[in-house]
Amino acid sequence: MRNSVLLALVLNAALSVPAFGHNVVGGVYAIGNTIEGEVGFSNGDMAKAGIVVQVRNATGNLIGESVIEDEGLFAFDATKRIDHYFYADLSAGHVLELVLPADELPATLPGGSAPITKSSVAASSASMKGVDQVALEQMIEKAVAKQVKPLRKELAAYKEKASLQDVLGGIGYIFGLVGLGIWLRQRKQEKNRASVS
Amino acid sequence: MHIVDGALSGLVLASGAALAAGGVAYGLKKLDYDHLPQVGVLSAAFFVASYIHLPVGFSSVHLILNGLIGLALGWAAFPALLVALVLQAVFFGFGGFLVLGVNTFNIALPAVLMFYLCRHGITAASPKIAGIWGAVGGAGAVALTTFMVAGSLALSGEAFWLAAKATLIAHIPVMLVEGFVTAAAVLLIRKVKPEFLNISEDWQDA
Repeated sequence: MRNSVLLALVLNAALSVPAFGHNVVGGVYAIGNTIEGEVGFSNGDMAKAGIVVQVRNATGNLIGESVIEDEGLFAFDATKRIDHYFYADLSAGHVLELVLPADELPATLPGGSAPITKSSVAASSASMKGVDQVALEQMIEKAVAKQVKPLRKELAAYKEKASLQDVLGGIGYIFGLVGLGIWLRQRKQEKNRASVS
Repeated sequence: MHIVDGALSGLVLASGAALAAGGVAYGLKKLDYDHLPQVGVLSAAFFVASYIHLPVGFSSVHLILNGLIGLALGWAAFPALLVALVLQAVFFGFGGFLVLGVNTFNIALPAVLMFYLCRHGITAASPKIAGIWGAVGGAGAVALTTFMVAGSLALSGEAFWLAAKATLIAHIPVMLVEGFVTAAAVLLIRKVKPEFLNISEDWQDA
């Protein structure tokens, strides 16, 4: 009886709080005006739904909020072409900051810098053909973003994964340090011996 | 167990760094240089342990081994763990450089405390008692580290009991596994290499 209670407790613990001891990872991608983001842990678990993601600009002012939905995904509609900073606090010391640079957002959005506003003015005063071109550009952007998204995800996961080389490299460093310590000590001892004799 | 950069306040980071620096300095001073290879081997063991994830249910845990390191090294656990944590931050991206001091302190201090608490226990004549003390050392170090992690977060504004409960519950499987592993390691080392646990020869005569 006692054992089964313990086992249930352990299993429950392992199931309910699966993510401790892992890194928080995530990514943000622009698809047209919409910024899509993903937050999860390095072992493959995704962030729980309901966590609020704060969106700030470069100076740290809050410009909006988004809520994580199923599978750690969240979305935010950009209204300005500026750098977007995303903060997610997954509790118990798991925090994540993500940045979406302004140049990944479409040039049609009003932005801070001069050349972009110029291009948006040009677009708004354009003829029918120009408007079509803007729509076409957006469509292409969306399509490309959709295609590239899985690749980006895979790349992010790959970057998080430490390889055997990393492990062996670390062990090598430790043994090297030990060797250095032993060598320094040996030198000291020899010096002492030389000064004594 | 690794707190990431950005989760703690500046004051906690600074005091953690100061405490860890003190511990490392004291550990280096107390370090018997004949034991340097052991320090290296255990540092390497800690470094690798958090890379190897053992499946538990639908999730995975990794060993921390700070209890075993504490039992074997005493104060030298501080420098050993600092080196391993630096390398984990560099190679695996665990934790970060700003929180290095806090992480070192949170993991190494329980190791040292377990050294003082269980040192006599693991040199007991009866292997059974020694094994139990080894298990206490292994599980206790993980539990203490959990509390210290929660404490660091609480000092930075998070609710202590919420964080402590969450991390403690999540680490129950780790504590069990760690207890078994440490007990087994203590028993093995007692048989084949008693000097590895700083055990003098006299307990064999008793």
